[in-house]
Amino acid sequence: MTSRRAKRARTDDLAIQTFNLTKTFNGLVAVDGIELNIKRGELFALLGPNGAGKTTTINMLCCLLKPSKGTAQIMGYDILKQPFKIKEIIGVAPQETAISEHLNPQENMNLIGKIHSVKSPELKIRSKQLLETMGLEARARDQVRKFSGGMKRRLNIMMALIHNPKVIFLDEPTLGLDPQARRAIWEYITQLKKEKTILLTTHYMDEADFLADRIGIMDEGKIVALGTSQELKASTQEKNTMIVSARDLTPKVIEEVRKRYAEVSITGDTMLITDSKLDFREIVDRLQSAGATVRSAHIKELTLEDVFLNLTGKELRE
Amino acid sequence: MRVWELCKRNLKETYRDPVGMGFLLGFPLVFMLLFGAIFSGDTTENLAVGVVDKDNTPTSQAFVSEALTKVSVLKVISYDDADTARKDLTFGELDAYVVIPSGFSEQVFQNWQGEKADITLEMTYDESDVMVSEQLISIINAVARAFARIETPLTIDANPIHIETEITYVDFIGPGIIIFGLLILIPTSARPIVRDKEKGFMSRLLTTPTRPLDFILGYSLYMLVIAIAQIIIFIVLARLLGMDIVGNFWLAFLVFFLAGLCSIGVGMVIASLSKSENQAEPMAWLISMPLAMLSGCWFSIEMMPQYLRYLAYAFPYAHAIDAARGVLIRGVGMEAINSDFLFLIGWTVVIFAIGIVLFRRSMRS
Repeated sequence: MTSRRAKRARTDDLAIQTFNLTKTFNGLVAVDGIELNIKRGELFALLGPNGAGKTTTINMLCCLLKPSKGTAQIMGYDILKQPFKIKEIIGVAPQETAISEHLNPQENMNLIGKIHSVKSPELKIRSKQLLETMGLEARARDQVRKFSGGMKRRLNIMMALIHNPKVIFLDEPTLGLDPQARRAIWEYITQLKKEKTILLTTHYMDEADFLADRIGIMDEGKIVALGTSQELKASTQEKNTMIVSARDLTPKVIEEVRKRYAEVSITGDTMLITDSKLDFREIVDRLQSAGATVRSAHIKELTLEDVFLNLTGKELRE
Repeated sequence: MRVWELCKRNLKETYRDPVGMGFLLGFPLVFMLLFGAIFSGDTTENLAVGVVDKDNTPTSQAFVSEALTKVSVLKVISYDDADTARKDLTFGELDAYVVIPSGFSEQVFQNWQGEKADITLEMTYDESDVMVSEQLISIINAVARAFARIETPLTIDANPIHIETEITYVDFIGPGIIIFGLLILIPTSARPIVRDKEKGFMSRLLTTPTRPLDFILGYSLYMLVIAIAQIIIFIVLARLLGMDIVGNFWLAFLVFFLAGLCSIGVGMVIASLSKSENQAEPMAWLISMPLAMLSGCWFSIEMMPQYLRYLAYAFPYAHAIDAARGVLIRGVGMEAINSDFLFLIGWTVVIFAIGIVLFRRSMRS
């Protein structure tokens, strides 16, 4: 017992582990030898454009697709050898809102709950909780087909959670939603974060930025960068830009700025200063002492969008 | 447990969708009513058939007066010789004429005694009118078979009136049309499975501990409920249209039930082979419609070329129609239909086995 425990000790804090996970469809490589280690309790985001291989990765981890090469473990269970062990402990919210249209939310949740052999009293408590936190309790008895896209997405997530899974997969949880509905879902996912391991995929960089502990940037089947949002931004070659709106931008003022920063451009009353490091205070002081009147100034910080562009030479959004 | 939950969900999906449910029950009903109306008609005598009785025995006379004449769509005219009948046929006064050869009564007599003997009737008809001639062959054939196989007292003189041969076309066509309704179960049972596949609901369930067998039973149990409802509606409707039920109702029901099971199995195989409703729907119709024609839902398959008949009997539906006609029209029991019955059971088992293998395979790609 002790020796077995010792042997597994290294991987005991890992919820998801992939080993050269690969999937090809008719010679086309969709997922290309991914190596991931996701810790228990971590929220990990796979960020990438459509077609990067995110959903294929998730489908393999949920035992829906067989990998062409390599394997993965979920909570120590192998996806090839113990799929039904895994299916008992995971919750999946697929990209298509996979719900039963003529059932109400309660019935949809009951179906999944009973398939997972959740006892009725527990099912009652959990579904009530989920309906409240997701704001659907007023519509618990209405058929789902009348629901808005946002409500369906929320129910889609609720059905992934009803059986209290250890590992949760959310595939594009806010796809096509308005900002308000996205916020609501984000808030709920943030609450979940403390107790569950979550792997989510998204092609919204702000979503990954807001939610994830760590982000894996995916492109053409490969993880091209991995780290926290901060780490990813720090690693890029891209530069920050400061936008200053000021009166009296005389040649003298411009000359003064150029002494320190190479890239400076002027359009009317607006000055753009680009550099990898920008000292806000120092620039404003420099402008003022040269005789300009600064009306407003702000630094446009790097986004994951810029990181992605820098890594792949492509825009993240379609 | 899981099976029951899945079945319950599928049933709810159906009865809470009034339009879908309407199609489910209404579509075959429309066909049935239409065929019923076409073939039952009002009971005016609209097919003129001449009869030349060369046998001229009490049996042959009874065949004419008690069997043929009782068929409401036939107007039977007696002729003394075939030449006159032929002349009237060429002038269009007759649609066909039947010559009862001498020896007919002995052949029938042998059948009544339980010996199998061929009964030959000579029928001449205007082959340019395909529909009428086909209909006539079916009717005369059915009447003759019913007449010969019916259990009656040994001597015809004793009680010729007991011969129950008031066969209408509805009696003959009824079982076929019910089987046709059950062939429509093929697209009907493929549809919900493929829809769940396309909408991603199947994928969601596949990420749960649901086993392949849970799925298959969950869907087929649900389809069985639909099939039973349809069979009851069909039989009631056929009865209202004038179909007689001579034999055991439950035996006929069992035959239809097995045919329904085959359709569910075929539907499941189609669903396993297709990725979307757009693939499954045409595939299902491409199978069910030719099968309906081939199996003799609308006309007797005895007029088909031999090789087509072989093909027809490779599928369960021709057997089901034969068995159902036997039970409903001629009132035969299990012993007379047991080969058809075994074939149906065998086919059901095999198609479900194929369904399970394919379904399992399509679950993990």
